[in-house]
Amino acid sequence: MSFLQILDQQGWYFLVTLLSGWPATISVAIPSFFFALIFGLVLALLRMARSRLSRGFAIAYIEFFRGTPALVQLFVIYFGLPDLGYSPSPFQAAVIGLGMNGAAYLAEIYRAGIESIHQGQKEAAFALGMTPTRAMRYIVLPQAIRVMTPALTNFAIVLLKDTSIIFAVGVVEVMALARNLVTETLQSGVVYLMAGALYLCVTIPMSHLAARLERNRRAWQ
Amino acid sequence: MEKLLAVYVDHIDVWLPEMLFFSITTLEIAIVSFVLAVAIGLVLVMLRVSKISPLVTLAILIIEVARGLPIVVLLYIVYFVPPQLVSGWNWSWYNAFVGAVLGLGIHGGAILAEVFRAGIEALHKGQREAALSLGMTPAKSMRYILVPQAARIVLPPVANYGIGLLKETSLCSLIGVNELMNDAKSIAFADYEPMAVFLLAAAIYFAMSYPLALILRHVEKRLNFSR
Repeated sequence: MSFLQILDQQGWYFLVTLLSGWPATISVAIPSFFFALIFGLVLALLRMARSRLSRGFAIAYIEFFRGTPALVQLFVIYFGLPDLGYSPSPFQAAVIGLGMNGAAYLAEIYRAGIESIHQGQKEAAFALGMTPTRAMRYIVLPQAIRVMTPALTNFAIVLLKDTSIIFAVGVVEVMALARNLVTETLQSGVVYLMAGALYLCVTIPMSHLAARLERNRRAWQ
Repeated sequence: MEKLLAVYVDHIDVWLPEMLFFSITTLEIAIVSFVLAVAIGLVLVMLRVSKISPLVTLAILIIEVARGLPIVVLLYIVYFVPPQLVSGWNWSWYNAFVGAVLGLGIHGGAILAEVFRAGIEALHKGQREAALSLGMTPAKSMRYILVPQAARIVLPPVANYGIGLLKETSLCSLIGVNELMNDAKSIAFADYEPMAVFLLAAAIYFAMSYPLALILRHVEKRLNFSR
């Protein structure tokens, strides 16, 4: 059977099946994104804190999570944590794993963003009688986040692409369904190409958005 | 914690040599696909900056697709699709290792093509014009004037990519290459010690990538210093 014949006969079935995996992909990607967003900020603040202990912890965390593959981290969480008495569901393991991994990368993005804000902003805030916390919250962070927007968009794309490994811990998302379809119909050619095309439909527009935000940011600065 | 230590004391003499042995495959994948990625990246960037519009379009298409796909999906496509697309050939040589190296190479080629382009574009246009007005051919101006200057801008991100690649090889376990990750999986489930085994695997990956990252940071500092 030729490629086009298969597409003609089973294409619709493949497409509907693969599309039904997207809710799982999105429902892991979005919580992990917000988890990483918050935890990454905490890490960045610890990383820039005065206390040597908190800086040491943040550096160790960031280096370890950036120095090891996300797949290993997922396996430690999903298969390893039950040894310690906590058995996460595949969904929980995926969110914790991708979130903790993403936080390490985001911490560095936050740090670069915060350090890019002129020192005078902070000094002016202090001069107005703000506490360091308030200066960070109301003066530095809002400006830093504006600078970070393109990097955050890129991070969202990376995170979305990283969700394609979570089938390894048993989340039934697009790739898991693609593999099931191949086992069922043996049409690996059509199925994987179609799964790839579905990812591209999301990632390519997002990366154009990121590039546009980056151009706007340059124009704004 | 003590329990974990006891597990290591019991098993490390078997686990570590075996995992180190499979780390060699990990390194092989990383090195071969790195070389392939540089080669593909160079070809793509040549097409991308050429003035021939169908070639430019082709290069943009390949780069966008290879960068837009998750690596796992690209690996699955590269490994499983061609044998079905062209079923008449003899595909017996096309094993998971070849598929893994090709997939990572294509993905890396697309990333590196953009890095190379940034390097070329960062050069002042006058450099090329000066070279051409001295009577150099476009190829010669590339070889003697542009490439040496671009290398300085390009090398840090290329090295960074290479370090990232070491970690990305773990994804090859998903298409069935017998490397460190796959070996860790089989030991973990044979000995029922997933926590200890996967942490050990993480430590080995870390031991491979972290020293390289430190060296790169040091070199980068020196490069900036002399500017």
